[in-house]
Amino acid sequence: MTETSVPQHMSYVAEHHEPSWREGLKTGIPTLFGIGAWGLVVGVAMVKTGLTVAQALAMTLVVFAGSAQLASLPLIAAHAPIWVIFATALVVNLRFVIFSALLAPHFSHLPWKKRFLLGYVAGDMTVALFLQKYPSEEPQLGKLSYLKGLLYPNWAAWQVGSIAGILLGSTVPPEWGLGFAGTLAIICITVPLVASRPALAGVLVAGAVSVLGAALPYKLGLLLAVLLGMGVAMFIEEWMEKKHG
Amino acid sequence: MADWEIWLTIAALAVATAATRSSFWLVGHHITIPKRVQEMLRYAPACALAAIIAPDLLLDGGQVQFSLANLKLVPGVVATAFYVWRRNMLQTIVFGMAFYTVLRVLHIFS
Repeated sequence: MTETSVPQHMSYVAEHHEPSWREGLKTGIPTLFGIGAWGLVVGVAMVKTGLTVAQALAMTLVVFAGSAQLASLPLIAAHAPIWVIFATALVVNLRFVIFSALLAPHFSHLPWKKRFLLGYVAGDMTVALFLQKYPSEEPQLGKLSYLKGLLYPNWAAWQVGSIAGILLGSTVPPEWGLGFAGTLAIICITVPLVASRPALAGVLVAGAVSVLGAALPYKLGLLLAVLLGMGVAMFIEEWMEKKHG
Repeated sequence: MADWEIWLTIAALAVATAATRSSFWLVGHHITIPKRVQEMLRYAPACALAAIIAPDLLLDGGQVQFSLANLKLVPGVVATAFYVWRRNMLQTIVFGMAFYTVLRVLHIFS
């Protein structure tokens, strides 16, 4: 499908739909506290690694990927070659390729710049929340507005937290464990996703693999966890279907 | 690292974000994903989120810490139960942080 021949019935997906925008915003609001706290932790970490305030601000604004930023900091401190840092960030971010494969088909009719930007700002939590509301790729009124209601505040909360962390720097005591708020937000998003036995099995396997593989380089344990978790969930889903005919 | 090297690194990291997050948004319509793989991908978000939180809850200084001395495990489990009961994310975050802070400050299990 080319972008110029958008079927008539799909054009309304992109139309601004106020109720959906608000619903997205409302769904995402509680996560913003966790996101902001996480951003703060990453902001503090950047300054403590020795980045100047300007560098840290640039990093949070253009990179906008907490786990990749955190993974790059010790490498920057150790004067690792830039291509090694780049490769590390790519591997840490590989799960986003899967996320983009899940989200992109919903919006394939949009102009490429818009698609590029939407993908760029789509982090872990928003993808999960969006797919919970719209599991099917069918065009639906307000889909884009709902996604924007999730994405934009999420981006803003991360930046506010991160910039606060950069400016406050070492005045935030690490023992407060503010990053735990981010973990709690993710727990809340994960619980409703574990609604079936295959999903539960997948989540347990993913959790176990990522703990066991935590020492692997390039955060490969994270990627491995996602792949094995998905595989096990699918295996159990098919096994259950066979059993019940 | 020299100043310009850090700036170059930041640019490289931005490319890494764009290359992964925007990949299928830009080239997806040229790629057909088999139906079976598509079905499997549905489980990816839940698995990714679990893979992000599990090490934070279970690892303490690189070691699996399955005891009450693990400051995050107990509040994590209790907060999960709290969320299943109340189904309110903000309350859960506030409750979980409060619980965690009380354990930490009062040294209840350690």
